[in-house]
Amino acid sequence: MTAIIEARNLTKTFGSTTAVDSVSFTIEENRIYGLLGRNGAGKTTIMQLLTGQDFATSGDVAVYGQSPVENAHVLQNISFIKESQKYPDAFQVRHVLASAPWFFTNWDQSFADTLLGEFRVPLKRDIKKLSRGQLSALGVIVGLASRAPITFFDEPYLGLDAVSRQLFYDRLLEDFAAHPRTVILSTHLIDEVSNLLEHVIVIDEGHIIIDSSADDLRGSAVTIVGKSVDVAAFVEGREVIHRDGIGGLSTVTITGQLSAADRQAATAAGLELAPVSLQQLIVRLSVLEDAATEGVLS
Amino acid sequence: MTLAPPLNPPSALRRIINVMRLHLVNKSVYIGIPWMIVAGALAVSVIITLLLRYVSGETEFPGMAYSWAVVSPLWYLIAAGVLAISTTLPFALGFSITRTDFYLGTSLLFVTVSAANALAMATLVEIEQATGGWWIGTIMFSALWFGGQTWIVNVLGFLVIQLFIFFVGALFAAVYLRWRVMGSVLLWFGVAAAIIGAVTIIVLTDSWVSVVGWLTTQTTAALLGWLAVPVALAALAGYFIVRRATPKN
Repeated sequence: MTAIIEARNLTKTFGSTTAVDSVSFTIEENRIYGLLGRNGAGKTTIMQLLTGQDFATSGDVAVYGQSPVENAHVLQNISFIKESQKYPDAFQVRHVLASAPWFFTNWDQSFADTLLGEFRVPLKRDIKKLSRGQLSALGVIVGLASRAPITFFDEPYLGLDAVSRQLFYDRLLEDFAAHPRTVILSTHLIDEVSNLLEHVIVIDEGHIIIDSSADDLRGSAVTIVGKSVDVAAFVEGREVIHRDGIGGLSTVTITGQLSAADRQAATAAGLELAPVSLQQLIVRLSVLEDAATEGVLS
Repeated sequence: MTLAPPLNPPSALRRIINVMRLHLVNKSVYIGIPWMIVAGALAVSVIITLLLRYVSGETEFPGMAYSWAVVSPLWYLIAAGVLAISTTLPFALGFSITRTDFYLGTSLLFVTVSAANALAMATLVEIEQATGGWWIGTIMFSALWFGGQTWIVNVLGFLVIQLFIFFVGALFAAVYLRWRVMGSVLLWFGVAAAIIGAVTIIVLTDSWVSVVGWLTTQTTAALLGWLAVPVALAALAGYFIVRRATPKN
């Protein structure tokens, strides 16, 4: 695996607010990354720093070993689709699609045309008159058809209906298989994309709290369901990240892998073992992180 | 190990031309609408001439030389200059265009559009004069000072006025994108302070007479030439401001 993006101690402050606080991470070639986190966690700011759209307060970004800032050699390889993309006032959809090939070397017009039909975006409509969903669809179409070696999607699905979102995931995966590239997707809908993601980076309040392969992460926790007494005995000495209970029953999520012996013991004790969804896991860990930073838990 | 970027950008010149094409992808903005305005203004001028002929029975209307119809497209171009930066720059960044390429391409657009319009307008002045005001005594293109100049002076005059409008509009938009409302307010205050300062100096040194005297010795061509100074300053300032501008939503 080859690293194509490296961030070192990357920091961005706006006045007294620290949006990104000394984060370091590496993005490897031809994988699909999820950049996850709550609203205002710093996802968009990180993407803007990686694409040279904003300037870091301190720290370094290297894309292909170079700074992306005002660097046409780097930017030629990047497509950055953001939820809040602005368009010139007088533009219609066709103007966006007509000019895209001048700027994206790998632009595939027939793919764009197909997507346009599938997402039902009218070619001759003023951008200002598009619905929120159509506007998002236009971004998705440009992001997919540009086939840039590094493609960023910053919450690309706002206003997209479930059918269109599924269409986006399907087309992304198909096109990724045919034309491998690096995709960095920021999203709230973690469960929807969890099968897509190969690597997950979770940001909270400008810090990275998780940077892990999606498979490792999925296997890193398990939920135990059963009688409170039995569950309590089983989780004794393990790291508990969530507890829930009703009457005499408990649902407890613990981190760490269970050995075969653990599993046998659990079954013998009449406990049920359930996998933890990526979304649940991230929510649990984010809450835990919040509590830790606020000193409620230690 | 790090990888070299797989895709190479086109040459710098090609990239700059592509930015100009991006501005012109919707032809109505810089070509269609301005010329529709000119056509509309000419139609109105012709109708007024016909009314005057009918009412007064005269065939020459020197009063029409004070009509401002000739500059009517300029008001629209102010907005076009502002929007070229304020909405097209954020869009261009989304197309992975560098700010430098964007500004140079936008400047090329301004120069190209201004030059084409200047050639056409100056030529229309000549045609209007040669045809005796479109055969009915209409004075539109040869109004204001444009009637008394040679073709080349008119070309340069139209050119510098349009460039002034484009680059000053773009500068204000760039200041807004870089420093938001506070920057824009300070810029307006700065312009006001400069004007008040100049007037104050003239008043305090009691030099109105010599200032006005100097102005009257300048030919129209020379005064237009002086306009090239703020154009160059605005264009240069815009470049450095845009290079660090960070459009937000």
